[in-house]
Amino acid sequence: MKRYWKPFFLSFLVLLVLFPFTYMVLLSLMSGWQFPDFLPSYFGFKNWATIMTSEGGLLQSFVISVIISLSVAIVTTISGFFISRVVYYHPKSKVLNVLAYFPYILAPVVFAACLSFFFIKLGLFGNVTGVVVAQFLIAFPYALIFFSSFWNQKMKSYADLTATLGGSRLQTYTKVLLPMAKSMLLVCFFQTFLISWFEYGLTSIIGIGKVQTLTIKVFLFIKEANYYYGALSCCLLIFPPVVLLYFNKRYVFKKMV
Amino acid sequence: MFLEIKDIVKSFHNEHVVKTLNFQLEAHQTLSILGKSGCGKTTMLKTIAGLVSPDSGSIILNGERINDKKPSERNIVYLYQEDLLFPHLNIFENIAFGLRLKKLSNTDITERVSQMIKSLELEGQAKKMPNQLSGGQRQRVSFGRAIITEPSLLLLDEPFGSLDAGTRQRMQVLFKKLTKEYQITSLFVTHDLKEAVLMGDKIGYMHKGQLKVYEGKKEFINDPNTGVQHEIAFWDGLKVNSD
Repeated sequence: MKRYWKPFFLSFLVLLVLFPFTYMVLLSLMSGWQFPDFLPSYFGFKNWATIMTSEGGLLQSFVISVIISLSVAIVTTISGFFISRVVYYHPKSKVLNVLAYFPYILAPVVFAACLSFFFIKLGLFGNVTGVVVAQFLIAFPYALIFFSSFWNQKMKSYADLTATLGGSRLQTYTKVLLPMAKSMLLVCFFQTFLISWFEYGLTSIIGIGKVQTLTIKVFLFIKEANYYYGALSCCLLIFPPVVLLYFNKRYVFKKMV
Repeated sequence: MFLEIKDIVKSFHNEHVVKTLNFQLEAHQTLSILGKSGCGKTTMLKTIAGLVSPDSGSIILNGERINDKKPSERNIVYLYQEDLLFPHLNIFENIAFGLRLKKLSNTDITERVSQMIKSLELEGQAKKMPNQLSGGQRQRVSFGRAIITEPSLLLLDEPFGSLDAGTRQRMQVLFKKLTKEYQITSLFVTHDLKEAVLMGDKIGYMHKGQLKVYEGKKEFINDPNTGVQHEIAFWDGLKVNSD
């Protein structure tokens, strides 16, 4: 009896998970759906067509978000990998690792408020560079903590072995350490991209409304009670993570298993 | 002498791990080194390989002082107890690794690696990944990867420590065969008395950072500090009891 209900229960769970996403896509295709109307007054691609126009500024926000998140993810992953190695070999590595958790003690908004003075002084307030730097400050400790598990005695042995086999420092990185860390590098890139992509508090304070990422845009539309544009921007918001998730699943997790 | 170690001293945080180390080794010979855990064997090997800097003393290889040379320039390969095969490379590429670092031609690499695979009795395994091999096979690949680079000196830090008795015996035979075939000079650290006697042309015993190299196997066997007499007494006792 239990077995008989299992597929139905699982299907129900899948439907439950998929429903918000499906509803969001449908909502992005609607407009003018007032209570007590059973159906919306319009159903089509009108909202989606506005992406190409400057009316909602969605395309611009999408491009800015992609630029910011890619910059943050690339810089964070590369610097996190190399600096985590320095931290591992540092005599005070334990203290440095504990310090890496510091940005997560504070809420992003409080953290941004603490940083705002320095950002104003450095001329980084209200521009894309400032937002990239601010998000880097949140994402970098994550990368540092993430890669700390990669560096261990065995990795040191691999590096030493490569040296005794005649490998230079550069060859040790290119032929051994980087290929061995490939999966971790991709996962870290994916995670830091997501941290940056969905970041709101820090971006809204450092960007002071001038840097309108897609996440900021979603909140703006929701504040305006423009659910149709809100849903549309949400669709755009989940598109890059879904693409990254697909690539991760195909090229990283498969190999890890 | 091919290898001369003169007055090497190494301390970590005021603890003398290696104390005035002095020994010599002729070319194409193997020196087995026995000693308890923590007596300084690994530090000694790493110092010779250039992975650890000595506080004082000289390392002379083939008439040249190599203290200031980087590990990559010494042509001394250090092998760990673990095989440390590169998981992202197949067996062929693992063996070819050192040759690729030296930027040899592909034809040369293919020829030499194929020959080495044959010597290691690993025919048909070239395309396999390390995780598809047994412990003994992995250790053989590790040997091949080191020996193919024709090192001036091979340092082995308990290379068969993690293998079962049967595989260990086969590896000992293979090691003897390869060192003869490729004329390898090596330092072979082990915990196993029998292995030390079988592998070494000379035997040394390390105790609290000091190494004593015996003139002959007889002297080693007769020294009560090495534990050989204790071992002989144990087996003799067992024989008497069973009779």
